[in-house]
Amino acid sequence: MKPHRRKKLGIILFIAAGLSIAIGFTAFALKQNINMFYTPTQVAEGEVGAGQHFRIGGMVKMGTVVGDQGSLKVNFVTTDFVSDVPIQYEGILPDLFREGQGIVAEGEMDTAGVFQASRVLAKHDENFMSPEVKAALDASGASAENHSPMANNK
Amino acid sequence: MWLWFSKLGSPKWFYELSGRWLPWLTAAMIIFMTIGLVWGLLFLPPDYQQGFTSRILIVHVAVAGTSLAFFPLMFVAGTITLVWKMKLADMVAKNAAILGAWFSFVTLATGSLWGSVMWGTWWEWTDSRLVSMLFQLFLLIGVISLRSALEDSETAAKACALLSIVGCINVVIIKYSVEWWNTLHQASSPISTDSSSPNGPEFWIATLIMIVAVYLFLSVSLILATRNEILERERRSQWVRDLVLKS
Repeated sequence: MKPHRRKKLGIILFIAAGLSIAIGFTAFALKQNINMFYTPTQVAEGEVGAGQHFRIGGMVKMGTVVGDQGSLKVNFVTTDFVSDVPIQYEGILPDLFREGQGIVAEGEMDTAGVFQASRVLAKHDENFMSPEVKAALDASGASAENHSPMANNK
Repeated sequence: MWLWFSKLGSPKWFYELSGRWLPWLTAAMIIFMTIGLVWGLLFLPPDYQQGFTSRILIVHVAVAGTSLAFFPLMFVAGTITLVWKMKLADMVAKNAAILGAWFSFVTLATGSLWGSVMWGTWWEWTDSRLVSMLFQLFLLIGVISLRSALEDSETAAKACALLSIVGCINVVIIKYSVEWWNTLHQASSPISTDSSSPNGPEFWIATLIMIVAVYLFLSVSLILATRNEILERERRSQWVRDLVLKS
């Protein structure tokens, strides 16, 4: 390789490496701002200020969904298996919403410690299963919901 | 080694070689595309929760995965343009940007379609995977606009090469966004041959076939576009004149 070409290649690699490091540090510094939601544990530890509008992400705890007769009001508890946060919501839920499913809710904490959600989104995990496999797994006692359902939440 | 490298930079040599490869690549593409689409869209079992909506992902995952190949490709082409000043590298880079923008658009469109059904929203500004993918589309549109904005083709090639090299970092952000941050978007589905794995093999085999098909589609389209570019830019050269006279 000719010297002037080697020099140019060096400059390009230097720019690419420098920029990667810069963006890496920026992304790390902005971690909480880039995160889409807080986990119930983060909320319990008081990382969210009072009266703040934010999103919370977790699993719908089994056996906690209580629908109101005659209205669209629904109450449930979201959990990350460490802490729980009760959620109240009025509106149409996505089709995927069910117990044991990951969800992201947007809203505010009220004074009673109940999260008043204005929006609830369903989160799908990275696993896909045909109904037959699901039935076979259920029969053998290994429920799909136990397969790291919120695997990418840290 | 360097002789081979400089030969690769000759548009005439590339035109002849790609002409010989093109029928094979096209045939392979048609075979994989047919198997992948027919199986994936007509015969794949429904997911137990998503129903038949999961079939959208066969296309979405393949196109999304392939769309991440454009910036690394443009990084290599850009480096060759800046360091060795090969005209062919710039011709590839120019068409890769246009194709890449379309791939990114299809990724966003199919993803939105699936999200509107499964998540209950078709777009979330707070999801880093979604936004970084949109950023890739904007970056590619930026590269295309930059080229058309600069009149001198050599300056345009250099500017686009530099932007491609810088923009390549976004690919890493897209790839790891679902692991580094909390997102609505799910993580990559693992490939597993374990029979007790929740991911049925039919899902990932069908997806893998589609990924191969889409990569072949990318190769065929890029080669065709580059061949056109070669003929246009080399129209005054003797070998192109001979070619036209022969046909």
